[in-house]
Amino acid sequence: MAILETRHIVKQFPKVLANDDINLTLQEGEILCLLGENGAGKSTLMNVLYGLYKPTSGTIVLDGEEVEFSSPRDAIDRGLGMVHQHFMLVDTLTVTENIILGSEPGSGPVIDYKTARQQVKELSERYGLQVDPDARIMNLSVGLQQRVEILKALYRKAKILILDEPTAVLTPQEVEELFAVIRTLRDSGVSIIIITHKLEEVKAIANRVYILRRGRIEGEREIADVTKEELANLMVGRSVVLTVHREPHEAKPEPVFTVENLRVLDDREVEAVDDLSLTVKPGEVVGIAGVDGNGQSELAEAIMGLRPATSGRILLRGNDIEHLTTRERINQRISHVPADRQRFGLVLPFTVAENIAIGYHDRAPNSRGLVLDYAGMEKQAEELISSYDIRTPGPLAPAAHLSGGNQQKVILAREFSRNPDFLLVNQPTRGLDVGAIEYIHSQILRMRGQDVGVMLISLELEEIFALSDRILVMYEGQIVKELTPAETDEREVGFYMTGGKERSA
Amino acid sequence: MNRTYSTALNAVMVVLGAIGSILWLGATFRSGETYYFWGIWLIVAAAGVYLVRYTLENGRDELLALVRKSLRSVVVPVMGIVVAILIGGVLMAITGYDPIAAYQALFYGGLVRNWHISVLNAAPLIFTALSVAFAFKAGLFNIGAEGQYYLGAMGATWASLYLGLPGIISIPLVFIFAALLGAAWNVVPAFLKVKTGAHEVITTMMLAHVARYLSPVFIRANGGDPATSLHPYVTFEILENNMLPSFSQFMEHANYRVHTGILLAIIVALVINFLLYKTRIGFEIRAVGENKDAARAQGISVGKNIFRALLIAGALAALAGFNQVNGLDHKLFENLQAGYGWNGISVALLAGGNPVGVVFTGLLWGMLDAGGQFMSRTTQTPSAIVEIVKGIILFLVVARYIYTAISQWWKRRKQKQTTAVAAGQA
Repeated sequence: MAILETRHIVKQFPKVLANDDINLTLQEGEILCLLGENGAGKSTLMNVLYGLYKPTSGTIVLDGEEVEFSSPRDAIDRGLGMVHQHFMLVDTLTVTENIILGSEPGSGPVIDYKTARQQVKELSERYGLQVDPDARIMNLSVGLQQRVEILKALYRKAKILILDEPTAVLTPQEVEELFAVIRTLRDSGVSIIIITHKLEEVKAIANRVYILRRGRIEGEREIADVTKEELANLMVGRSVVLTVHREPHEAKPEPVFTVENLRVLDDREVEAVDDLSLTVKPGEVVGIAGVDGNGQSELAEAIMGLRPATSGRILLRGNDIEHLTTRERINQRISHVPADRQRFGLVLPFTVAENIAIGYHDRAPNSRGLVLDYAGMEKQAEELISSYDIRTPGPLAPAAHLSGGNQQKVILAREFSRNPDFLLVNQPTRGLDVGAIEYIHSQILRMRGQDVGVMLISLELEEIFALSDRILVMYEGQIVKELTPAETDEREVGFYMTGGKERSA
Repeated sequence: MNRTYSTALNAVMVVLGAIGSILWLGATFRSGETYYFWGIWLIVAAAGVYLVRYTLENGRDELLALVRKSLRSVVVPVMGIVVAILIGGVLMAITGYDPIAAYQALFYGGLVRNWHISVLNAAPLIFTALSVAFAFKAGLFNIGAEGQYYLGAMGATWASLYLGLPGIISIPLVFIFAALLGAAWNVVPAFLKVKTGAHEVITTMMLAHVARYLSPVFIRANGGDPATSLHPYVTFEILENNMLPSFSQFMEHANYRVHTGILLAIIVALVINFLLYKTRIGFEIRAVGENKDAARAQGISVGKNIFRALLIAGALAALAGFNQVNGLDHKLFENLQAGYGWNGISVALLAGGNPVGVVFTGLLWGMLDAGGQFMSRTTQTPSAIVEIVKGIILFLVVARYIYTAISQWWKRRKQKQTTAVAAGQA
């Protein structure tokens, strides 16, 4: 039986048609996935369902009855629950307090904490969502915080649970646990909608999937009879190569970039990079594989001169650059794609043109003498916008208005167009959808084809394998193993990443 | 469009705007005096020329976009002002004053009768507000503009007492000296900020008090003598060659006190606007202000730009002191009392940190002050009402979310109406 149905939902924003004639049904007790690229209109649709947006036209049918929500409050009252990508929890309050917030039991101004605690405890036991009701949110891991969010919805008697990109912030382990929880919930009669852009997850958890593209439903599939490739094609609207084709390319023998016995401290003054040495040759991609927090970001910052090295040397084309400032290193044609693009890569309120100019804003075509040359800056930006296929209203749009993938393309355009000799790429595709990943991978390989030395730091093994000529496994600040992609597999790399020791004589 | 045309139009605009501003700002409103309106018409004409040039260069669509953008940026302040005036009126009605008569007096006094006082009030406010606004762009809060203002006043006085060169050489030297002193006053906060992370709000505010209480010492050393009743708390008068020209020197009827400091303030505002938005230094300062991590990752030195921003901010605030001493008072009083440093914060906030906007909000603030005095003198309405109105304006403008909430409520209402109409037709 259909518990929830949307009929011809249209949501028109001032310049964007976010949802165009959306018809979907949610059966009672199923797990439904809503798959689509960033900006396909998934979140808009869910916000319409949850009463945050009012649809321009169309109706929502709940339990066979037409409903109209004017706020999330209405939606909650009718049994809808939503777990947002960014949690809505008060850090300093306890789990119980957060869960009851807004619908506290008890009479008048007095809150009946004892009952509340009891209810929360019962609830978490019934659904297998173990969490200490008295713990403070700030002391919980992200995975546990998510459980609290789910409990919050269940406490309000949600029959339908909407999860917006629930795995974006979780570790692989936590993803497994979350999926177990979701299955338990389904088995006890809760209907679930998951918004995601990750194909693997859809295959792993869903019963049925709707694919959204540019605000329209592109297709509906039973999970049992659809392949990952078909889903990807529907989502992007063309054939997608899931692993980019890598032409063989002979690297030049003389290394362009060398790190010798580098030691770097992290913010807590603990050694994060511990006597690390590596080389990168022109025309090869060296992949640094490792679990997050094993010194990768400190290594990257030390290479860019954003963090001092306590000892060791960094050589570019044979010259020591360790004593140079960041600006001088950039002038020596090192390019850097930082891991956190919004914090380190872009000045969000600045325009696309300004973001492309930054760093090289002191030279032509971006300035003449001390005065900025906006015309030159915009002309250059326009060229890069078309050659890197950046979807933006124009060079004068603020970077903040672009989607994640296009923001990353702005950074790529800036860094790659500066003809680097050495390119440091840190987590280039984090949070991006298939189409953007494919594009960025092909651009990285293009740089390799132009005999640039590329150092790729990534937490995604798939990415490391797709791009690297050599894989260096980093563990606790050291390179513990060098492997060749052709002669190894993800299992072996994973073994060394988690501190596995070589069984040597 | 043809480049020479563009340049020619630009020149016409500048000339019209400059002459208009001089006539308007220097005008004294009295019977038979027409400079005031001539000035306004010329400024309007200059704006018209600008729009024509813009249309010729970029086309009509861009013009509409520009108009829409500028309307959107003034709608919040204007709404704030209107609502604040209404609330002030209600307040007056409740406390037994006639709001209509009072507001008549306020605007007549501020815009017409005592226009010259409005202009005199505005000049130092524009300087201090520029100082605060400039620091804002680097993500810094120069709350101690008052201190740099005192330093500038002392520096200007000292130099002007002894520098006996011809005015055309001497005045620029005094100007630079005052600015340098203000900048130097911010070296310590800048250094502490960069090296230790000490917050500039604390350090500049503390130094503001130091500067404030340095001034009596300075005055004693330069003519102030509490033993006589003639010069108890004031320095000697500065040399005549160091006084800024007054409008009355080239405009008949102009009030003798109105001096060219206001023109200097406007020019400096334009220079600061250019510095911020057209130069590499401004680009770096804004980048650091918006996202210092990204700026640093692109090789922009955060420390260097914090230094630059705080030093330039100090110089700007000091120019307010120069303006008062060399333009208006011609000597340094122990109690400058006007609190231009503190009020500059309000003026800068009201302008949203925009250097050109500061000129207008500075004039508005000065007008409210001058009009408020006139109002309380002629209608016996307490001038505290004006302070309340100013407070509400600032509150409404700074608390932009109020506006957002109202516009959302309006949208919802409209949506409901249209759906109701649609339902009625069905």
